[in-house]
Amino acid sequence: MTPQPLDAASRGEQPYLWRFTPLQRTLHAMVIVSFLGLVITGLPLRFAYAPWARVLVRGLGGLAAAGVIHRMCAIITFGYFAAHVGSLIYRVARGTSWKRILWGPDSMVPQGKDVRDLIGMFKWFLGRGPRPRFERYSYMEKFDYLAVFWGVAIIGFSGLLLWFPEFFSRFLPGWMFNVATIIHGDEALLAMSFIFTIHFFNVHLRPEKFPIDLVIFTGRATTEYLKDEHPLEYERRREAGALERLSAPPVSRLAYVWSIILGFASLGLGILVIVLVLWAVLH
Amino acid sequence: MRTCTRLFGLLVAGVPLGWAPARGQAPVVQCEKCHGNRDFITGKSGGPQDTSLYVPAAILQESRHRGLRCSDCHQGYEAGYPHQVANRVVPCQTCHEAEGRDWQASIHAANAESQGDAPNCVRCHGSHSVYGAADRRSPTHPLNVAALCGSCHADPRITGTYFATPGKAQARTAVAQYFKTVHGNALTRDGLVVSATCNDCHGAHKVLPADSAESSVNRHNIPATCGACHVGVAEVYEASAHGQAYRSGRKNNEGHEAPVCVDCHTAHGIVRADQPQWLLGVVAECGSCHEHLYETYFETYHGKVTRLGFTLAATCADCHTAHDMRPASDPRSSVFPANRVATCARCHPAANENFARYRPHGDPRDRARYPVLFWTWLFMTLLLAGVMLFFGTHTLLWLTRIVIDRVRGAAAEPPGTGS
Repeated sequence: MTPQPLDAASRGEQPYLWRFTPLQRTLHAMVIVSFLGLVITGLPLRFAYAPWARVLVRGLGGLAAAGVIHRMCAIITFGYFAAHVGSLIYRVARGTSWKRILWGPDSMVPQGKDVRDLIGMFKWFLGRGPRPRFERYSYMEKFDYLAVFWGVAIIGFSGLLLWFPEFFSRFLPGWMFNVATIIHGDEALLAMSFIFTIHFFNVHLRPEKFPIDLVIFTGRATTEYLKDEHPLEYERRREAGALERLSAPPVSRLAYVWSIILGFASLGLGILVIVLVLWAVLH
Repeated sequence: MRTCTRLFGLLVAGVPLGWAPARGQAPVVQCEKCHGNRDFITGKSGGPQDTSLYVPAAILQESRHRGLRCSDCHQGYEAGYPHQVANRVVPCQTCHEAEGRDWQASIHAANAESQGDAPNCVRCHGSHSVYGAADRRSPTHPLNVAALCGSCHADPRITGTYFATPGKAQARTAVAQYFKTVHGNALTRDGLVVSATCNDCHGAHKVLPADSAESSVNRHNIPATCGACHVGVAEVYEASAHGQAYRSGRKNNEGHEAPVCVDCHTAHGIVRADQPQWLLGVVAECGSCHEHLYETYFETYHGKVTRLGFTLAATCADCHTAHDMRPASDPRSSVFPANRVATCARCHPAANENFARYRPHGDPRDRARYPVLFWTWLFMTLLLAGVMLFFGTHTLLWLTRIVIDRVRGAAAEPPGTGS
């Protein structure tokens, strides 16, 4: 028995099949870098009373430096948000119908099937039914995706308010900055709590995938992976005779090593953040 | 301390320097015939009991007392050698009446009588070399006073004896602390003689412990004592909420008495108000009485970054002023509604009416005062709890299902038959 690859998307029956485009992979890498940057620099403010807060600020080069990093990461965030919305518009302009984007099998929009899948999963958890079979995106992936949409909008707007209070006070009352402070901090806390526990478990840490799934970095996964994780998509592609066209070469050694490094560094940082949050909350 | 006792001994021993019947009467005895002799000592043995009776003429010439005759101070010495002495005490008070009276009333005099080691006139002013406080050579010159007082008050034998109780802990470190702080620095580093030294606050002669009502450093006298130099600040303080409340004895909502200068600035640890040490520390000082405002301040951006050591964000005094703090209902207050835009604009130049409606102490837990903040906070908290609870359950159930399936699979399938 050969040792299993660390990467869950590299295990089992080949060939590799393309799953994410270079743009999608780049945008997700931007999400990772900017989100971690925002969390690490925002955390000491949210938990200023925590014993580690001053240490973290010193490590970041002082509070002024942390503020600059935070704002730079915010700009990256607005950048990937705009790039993604732009790519959707581009697809429509190139002839893909809105209908297909919103309601097609590749859609990110929650549909009846997602509700049935969610109920089906709970039934399966309790041993009262088969495991639901997912299309290209499961309800969990849709939730993650829409949570970023909601999160960037909410945290982004409240953040802009706090970044430029003098400008926004031209048309907003000052107590909106109090509201923005609460929303910005609590929504960020929700985002990091969710990403660093639920998302990490769903995508990387559950026993089938442990310890990591690099498909978002390498863009490709094995045929077996697709059969296990997205069986309906696999069948649809097979029936359409599209598997051949999706076939991808194995990941180059260099890309694999870099994906492992970025992946584990992000996982480690995220888990460290959860430890810091729990430390602060329970302190 | 040894110098101290020796000088004191010199005084009470009444060094016989001469004889004269009374001021202005002949004959004048030339004391220097004997006392101008470098080798003139009492005793012949050369042992430690011997005392030099030599008084260099140069010292007397430069002294402020150079016009006096020896017998003006050394009274009660009879003719003949060795002199017969009726009264060895040098009566400085004869001329320096007010100072003598003040000293008599001081803790120093009380201890001089009971313990014998507290300073008398000579200990601070010198014996024959009296120059006056304006003379740089005098131990009582402003630049020398702290060292002079410190020669006893920084001596563990003195502080251990007189300031042993916990209530006097501050006095044990006062001198060392003084040299590191703004008053001490101004004197020793900048050579600024107008900076406060020991006697400016404690008095020169009528030194009394702070718990004595007559003491210049008694809490009740502090505004006047500090105000002697800080005239402008004292005026502002007296008119402020703190000054008014202190005079009337009124307490704040949380039951604390109003502060006097030293409550915020400390007595011997006074630092410049533009130093990080002060900017970060003063919030805790204000907070020690204004507990609720202290807590709510740290909920805001200003408070959070200040807590992390950033000194540019507003602390208490930036909005409430340092000394002219008044309730928000007072039209002269910096936080009176009509004045808020100007107050905010001190840091945020583009502040307008809207901007000034920010709540710098907004408390989301206070539903009555801040309903919008309360409901926002509640919604966000429920959202956080709801999402995490739902997906937390989802995750835990999922994990349980996988573990159960694996355990069952392993039991149904003997090892080695799998892929």
